[in-house]
Amino acid sequence: MNQQLMDLWKKQMEEGTQAWVRLMSQAPGAAGAPAVDPQAFWKPFMDQGIGAWSKLMSQGPASPDLVNQWKQFLDQWIAAWSRVLEQTMGTEAFAQVLGRQLDASLNAAGPAKKAADQQIEASLASLGMASRAQVIGVAQHIAQLEEKIEGLEDRLDAVLERLDRIVGAGQGPAR
Amino acid sequence: MKDEQFTMTLEAPRLSPAMLARWQEEVTRNFLRMKHLAEMVLNPKEPEVGPTPREVIYKKNKSRVYRYASKRTVRTPLLFVPNLGISRPYIFDLMHRGSFIEYMTGQGFDFYLVDWGVFGPEDNGLDVEEVVTRLLPRLARKALQSSGAREMSVLGYCMGAPLSASFVATHPDFPVKNYINMAGPIDFSHVGMFGLWLDPRFFDVDRYVDTMGSIPADMVKAGFKLLKPTMDLSTNLNLWWNLWNPDYVTGFNALNKWANEYQPFPGEFFRQWVKEFYQQNRLVRGELRLGGQAVDLGRITCPVLAIGAKEDNIAPPACVRPFIDAVASTDREYVELPGGHISLIAGRGASVHCWPKVASWLAQRS
Repeated sequence: MNQQLMDLWKKQMEEGTQAWVRLMSQAPGAAGAPAVDPQAFWKPFMDQGIGAWSKLMSQGPASPDLVNQWKQFLDQWIAAWSRVLEQTMGTEAFAQVLGRQLDASLNAAGPAKKAADQQIEASLASLGMASRAQVIGVAQHIAQLEEKIEGLEDRLDAVLERLDRIVGAGQGPAR
Repeated sequence: MKDEQFTMTLEAPRLSPAMLARWQEEVTRNFLRMKHLAEMVLNPKEPEVGPTPREVIYKKNKSRVYRYASKRTVRTPLLFVPNLGISRPYIFDLMHRGSFIEYMTGQGFDFYLVDWGVFGPEDNGLDVEEVVTRLLPRLARKALQSSGAREMSVLGYCMGAPLSASFVATHPDFPVKNYINMAGPIDFSHVGMFGLWLDPRFFDVDRYVDTMGSIPADMVKAGFKLLKPTMDLSTNLNLWWNLWNPDYVTGFNALNKWANEYQPFPGEFFRQWVKEFYQQNRLVRGELRLGGQAVDLGRITCPVLAIGAKEDNIAPPACVRPFIDAVASTDREYVELPGGHISLIAGRGASVHCWPKVASWLAQRS
């Protein structure tokens, strides 16, 4: 019986989320689109759910299975919402909105970052300390030096290897 | 009449002894949940991660190569190339009995891990080209020298797969015995939501990099959280559900530490990665050029295994599988295992499905 009730929940959940996707995909004010009433959409789903739970509760003494059922219900609820969100976010319309948001944040962040950088540079200069750009420059020089030293090491290794080969060839096969 | 009066009492619901025992268990679990929650909130402990002994065999700028020694019952050592940026590589050695590296060394593989390191603004000039043609070849060579072996197997995970595959394809002088692509995107036309969000119609990577310099960790975090917005909810629900279990809490703490430790990307790396891989899909089309050389995956001829994760939404199986068709190996295999991008390699499911598959496939060919 419990399983049947859970299956009922699951079915309701699936239908509910699919309807939600349809609801989300309808552009507001689209020509010919009927007015959507979210309450009307959710009500049968909630009524049936509440009915199922009251039936379950009236069947006898409360069992710890209820706790498991509740966890399963929450898992399915989250999974259903996850699918809804994934379907919504996997659309070009969402990607476009995301891109616009990012552009807007860059429009705000760009000048703010530039102003903050200039302010920090000026503050450090007035204190006679190295600027951020100078510290980064030093770090880059160190990395370049490391690269050069490693390049020399590689060449030295190659020369030593070649020498070994020449010496080996000169000695000939052991008798 | 008198007796009848005394028997008129309210009847409590009858519970069977079995049900009573289960209720008692539930109550005990709730007490334990409260106790562990209080410990987590009032006395949080830094989880211990990376339990497998290791040594640094080489370091260059921020990057390191670690050696995890084994009894070396398998002749060919393994070089593991993970993603650059995004997250730290200790997920592969998260905790005792929950570590891919511990498992592989236990199976007799000498294990070499590339740790790209945490990049700062001074590394913003580092790009994919430099990583594939200069940095990775050096790290791989040092690992090979340290092992004393003639050949190495290479395993690329996530972004580490296209990077290491490009390296293997352009460095035929490096002796690769076997190659494994684990959840590594190759055909970016099937890369899912990230592919859509990073589409050039919606995302101007040049403007982003030019403005920000590097890609901050918070931005990386926002992208990954957005990919699965209900993840935090289900993680916390599962935590509450299993909070009575101290082993679960230990595992959760370690994983949670890793999952919230996002890493920044060097700006130029991100630019090239997004443009040439996500937006132009050059690798699988054979149009990628690095260091003046065409990257032709068809030059990979060693035995190849590609592993996709069924529920991976970062590198869906459809973008991993084409690797098998792109290489020229005669010994090639594709498997699709249960799990998501992370649970493919970390966690209980990984220890049952992925780790044994990798170890047995390699052992037969090493």
